[in-house]
Amino acid sequence: MDQQKNVLVIGAGIAGMKACLLLAKTGKQVYLVEKLPIIGGKTIKNEESFPNLECSTCMVAPVQQEILQHPNIKTLTLSEVEKIEGDIGNFTIIINKKARYVSDTDCIGCDMCFDPCPVSISNEWEENLMNKKAIYVPCSGSLPNVPTIDTEHCYHFNGKQECNACVEACMFEAINFDDKDEKVEIQVGAVIIATGSDIYDVSLLPQFGYGKHPGIYTSMEFERLFASNGPTSGELTIRNSEKTPKSIAIIHCVGRKEQDYCSGICCMYSAKHAHFIKHKLPDTKIYNFYRDICVPGKTYQKFVEKINDIETQMIYHNSMDELNILHNENEITIEYITGKSKKETLTVDMVILASALNPGKDFSDISKMAKIDLDKNGFFITNQEKVGSVESTKPGIFIAGCAEGPKDVQTSVIQAEAAVSGVMSCLDS
Amino acid sequence: MKKKIGVYVCECGPNIADKVDIDKIIETVVAANNSENVEIIGDRHKLLCSAAGKVFLEEEIKNKELTHMVVAACSPRDHNSTFINVCKKTELNPYLYKMVNIREHCAWIIPDKDKATNKAIEYIQGGVARVQYQTELIEKKLDTNPDVLVIGGGIAGIEAAISLAGKKRKVTLIERSAVLGGKSVFLKELLPSQAGKEYINKRIKDLTDNENIQVFLNTEIEKIIGFLGNFEIILSDVTNKDKKTEIKTGATIVATGFGLSDVTEFSNINYDTKDEVYTSLEIEKMLSEKGKLKLSSGVPPKKVGLIHCVGRDEKKYCSQICCNYMMKIANYFKKQSAKIEVKEFYKDLCLPHKDDQKLFNLTKKNGVDLVRIKEVSLNGTKIKYSRIDGTIEENEFDMVVVAPPIIPSDSTKNLSEILDIPLDEFGFFQEAHLSTNPVGTSTDGIFIIGNAQGPRGISNSILMAHAASGQIRTQLIPGEQIVPEVKVSEVLEAFCMGCKNCIDVCCYGAIYFDEIKGISVVNEAICRGCGNCVASCPSGSIRLKHFTNEQIYQEVIEALK
Ligand SMILES: Cc1cc2nc3c(=O)[nH]c(=O)nc-3n(C[C@H](O)[C@H](O)[C@H](O)COP(=O)(O)OP(=O)(O)OC[C@H]3O[C@@H](n4cnc5c(N)ncnc54)[C@H](O)[C@@H]3O)c2cc1C
Ligand SMILES: Cc1cc2nc3c(=O)[nH]c(=O)nc-3n(C[C@H](O)[C@H](O)[C@H](O)COP(=O)(O)OP(=O)(O)OC[C@H]3O[C@@H](n4cnc5c(N)ncnc54)[C@H](O)[C@@H]3O)c2cc1C
Ligand code: SF4
Ligand code: SF4
Ligand code: SF4
Ligand code: SF4
Ligand code: SF4
Repeated sequence: MDQQKNVLVIGAGIAGMKACLLLAKTGKQVYLVEKLPIIGGKTIKNEESFPNLECSTCMVAPVQQEILQHPNIKTLTLSEVEKIEGDIGNFTIIINKKARYVSDTDCIGCDMCFDPCPVSISNEWEENLMNKKAIYVPCSGSLPNVPTIDTEHCYHFNGKQECNACVEACMFEAINFDDKDEKVEIQVGAVIIATGSDIYDVSLLPQFGYGKHPGIYTSMEFERLFASNGPTSGELTIRNSEKTPKSIAIIHCVGRKEQDYCSGICCMYSAKHAHFIKHKLPDTKIYNFYRDICVPGKTYQKFVEKINDIETQMIYHNSMDELNILHNENEITIEYITGKSKKETLTVDMVILASALNPGKDFSDISKMAKIDLDKNGFFITNQEKVGSVESTKPGIFIAGCAEGPKDVQTSVIQAEAAVSGVMSCLDS
Repeated sequence: MKKKIGVYVCECGPNIADKVDIDKIIETVVAANNSENVEIIGDRHKLLCSAAGKVFLEEEIKNKELTHMVVAACSPRDHNSTFINVCKKTELNPYLYKMVNIREHCAWIIPDKDKATNKAIEYIQGGVARVQYQTELIEKKLDTNPDVLVIGGGIAGIEAAISLAGKKRKVTLIERSAVLGGKSVFLKELLPSQAGKEYINKRIKDLTDNENIQVFLNTEIEKIIGFLGNFEIILSDVTNKDKKTEIKTGATIVATGFGLSDVTEFSNINYDTKDEVYTSLEIEKMLSEKGKLKLSSGVPPKKVGLIHCVGRDEKKYCSQICCNYMMKIANYFKKQSAKIEVKEFYKDLCLPHKDDQKLFNLTKKNGVDLVRIKEVSLNGTKIKYSRIDGTIEENEFDMVVVAPPIIPSDSTKNLSEILDIPLDEFGFFQEAHLSTNPVGTSTDGIFIIGNAQGPRGISNSILMAHAASGQIRTQLIPGEQIVPEVKVSEVLEAFCMGCKNCIDVCCYGAIYFDEIKGISVVNEAICRGCGNCVASCPSGSIRLKHFTNEQIYQEVIEALK
């Protein structure tokens, strides 16, 4: 195989996966590097996706399966790119592939190693809303369905105690403590960066009280709370309690001012969240605090029209700076300025903060390593000399999905397919 | 010939082995089926999906000369493809193999071992019955034509053509008007980049200079038949309908763009042609052509009102780009003279892209009065509006600019019939899947890009052009063949009554009517094997290969015995 025709895709979200599948059709060897133990990205955290409210798993699982089974795609999970050297048509890549300690050829995903493990730690993938064992998969339905070991907390590795429980439980001899981190070196002709984005850290804004009251959630936490494979199996109960909220406020645009951009998706997913709540808890009162409704394109407005002001009460407020969330043990009170410039308050049991999407923490490292530029916000910037481009500032490296800026699945897929076209241009002409 | 059916039960470690009695299963299945015509070869294996398991199956197929195979193991979701790949390494046609799920359906859910064993036996018996009615299916390879037709010479169509054209792939672009560039040529500036007309003109030149692209102006499509890889197309000249051109391509891209709705159809907008009220596009044209924004009297305006979202409530969608371009237009006035008083009326600000907020900040800085409103109406050049606090005001302007909704291009409906591509509820072309395949359509090989799919700006239209290009370049490789789906429907000629029900229910336009024979015929290259037509046929004359009624009955009957 002509190595210069190989392609590296960084990030196995919907954008990265879609790009891989198209490229693999041409017979090219595609390397998909994902830092988590599983592929799928953010979309698999959602039970249902706007605008069709279809099951996200049904939408994404076939794509994940095809990725894992495709003979031309080599998926490297628990991996990060360490070095990108060379130029278009001829990049040398070094990948740090962390040890999984579980063999993906021997493990059949039976889960029998979890119960015996004595360690219980917070599950970050589940937005810390539940615990996991030191040997774990992030959620049920993970793909690949092969556990990994958290060596920081596993007794065997941190030496706190002797333990071999998982090895004993595994009938397939799939667990191997001697597994080692590996450096993988590959040659590729082009690179697609599809690392998605992070979510704005709402605890930076004390006015919203995040982290100070169990009833205050971020939107991503809420996605997991609602998910049937999530921490409460989809039951909407307030953190650390069995209490069902009787009233919920959804605050739009959290972090918009600080980031100085509108994320373009939070009005949509906030309407989706209101709909979810109405569906599960018909008697719960829902309030959406908004300043703009941003529902671009042909189908989004119709989606929110069926929800906003019907399933949820829309409350326009005058100023984000003057919206404060006060709380004591029993109540959460939202203090805000109405459209008529009056100060009002509303007391609720639960709050969901629709937080902005923002650049990943490692974007600046990647940009230095790949010698490509970021924009003023810290997202990867595309070639500004062209209109509608997915080229980065270095030929042969392309950007797709939320790595370029906040966006929905639709535009992430469009960019991924456009990046494929770009890769084909530089490798096949 | 005697059938030799291999039945292999996977232990899945303890997962299946501990929960059902595998030996009993094999014994029962062998005893129940062995006959003069059938020999069952039953065996168990520790882990069929492992490397050793796959070799074991491969050897069994070869050494025992199996004619059929049943694998009883986990969910086909996990490993159907694993065992299909095993078959492919041997002489056994993969369509003569069947997977039965006795893990999720039996072992994992039934605590009582006897009951679980019995259910597993029933399932496997169903599988053994079914597999005998399965038939070999052979994948066919079809030659393909890599060339592409692009319909519409706006920026989306132009970019698609340039991206795809090469030595091994010719592109034909047709434009029904006499000029290229679509609406973009009227835009003075182009957001968010400051490129304007120059950029569009450069791309038009790149297009016409490209020797692998043939451009037909004043041309429309009249007829198209075929499927991905093989389309036959007739083009006709708009000015002389008898002048026709026949071409062949492998894919077609629809880039027919948008129109603007007539704003006077909305009850809150009332004005006369003599009033100084302009649509956004008229302002762009005025500035492009005359270099200055003036009233019809020739003097520049002093007080301008801009109204966003006209007709948005009626159309039930947000046009996505007008917030941005209205601020651009407000700045045109401010650039012409900072003294012009500009008031911009909006309900929501739709600034979905990360760079859009910059424009908002700039617009405010330039002194444009951005007024958030609840309701607005226009009478001549008088704008009456209610502010968010409920106060109602009325201002007279000497010039008013309105942002009409983006609507589908007027040729869309007709084109949808010619192409047999459905429209959505708003009249735009309907994509294959809004989130996961926004440029595809119900017909493989036909793509929709730019505003033909829905309202959007230039960058996004160009991105879609490249997305379609990405799909075509990876699916239609010059010199390579394609393998269409083999699990397709077929109409049994003798039974078809010619009622055409099936033609109505097929979402992929895969069925055509043979007028001479008076029957429906499935085009195997287009059919996706969804089975809609099978269910719709009153005479039961459609068969879906690999999912025939007989195969399903046999499986169900045997399992229920
Ligand atoms: C709460 C919420 C709800 C949403 N709901 C919807 C919805 O209903 N419908 C919709 O259309 N959109 C929705 N979205 C938006 C949607 O999630 C994004 O459009 C989509 O996930 C973008 O896909 P992506 O592939 O660009 O990024 P991601 O899905 O974020 O995937 C990026 C992948 O890259 C990996 N990665 C990151 N950095 C590295 C690195 N350095 N090395 C290797 N791998 C790396 C990540 O682990 C991840 O797997 C929602 C977003 C949020 C926050
Ligand atoms: C006032 C205004 C200002 C704007 N400003 C900006 C801006 O600053 N930045 C930005 O990004 N976007 C802007 N836009 C949007 C921009 O104009 C569109 O995104 C862009 O023109 C879309 O290109 P297109 O190729 O999809 O469609 P179009 O430009 O509509 O082109 C479609 C072409 O197809 C042809 N056609 C139609 N039917 C047929 C047929 N049946 N057969 C053959 N040919 C056919 C048409 O004649 C036309 O040439 C603005 C829009 C308006 C109205
Ligand atoms: S490691 Fe072993 S016990 Fe754990 S899931 Fe895999 S096969 Fe089962
Ligand atoms: S060895 Fe580690 S992972 Fe395994 S059971 Fe013990 S603590 Fe858990
Ligand atoms: S999409 Fe809506 S909630 Fe999100 S930043 Fe934009 S206006 Fe605010
Ligand atoms: S883009 Fe702005 S002006 Fe246009 S319909 Fe949407 S909200 Fe209204
Ligand atoms: S099976 Fe589906 S796609 Fe095929 S002809 Fe019938 S209705 Fe059309």
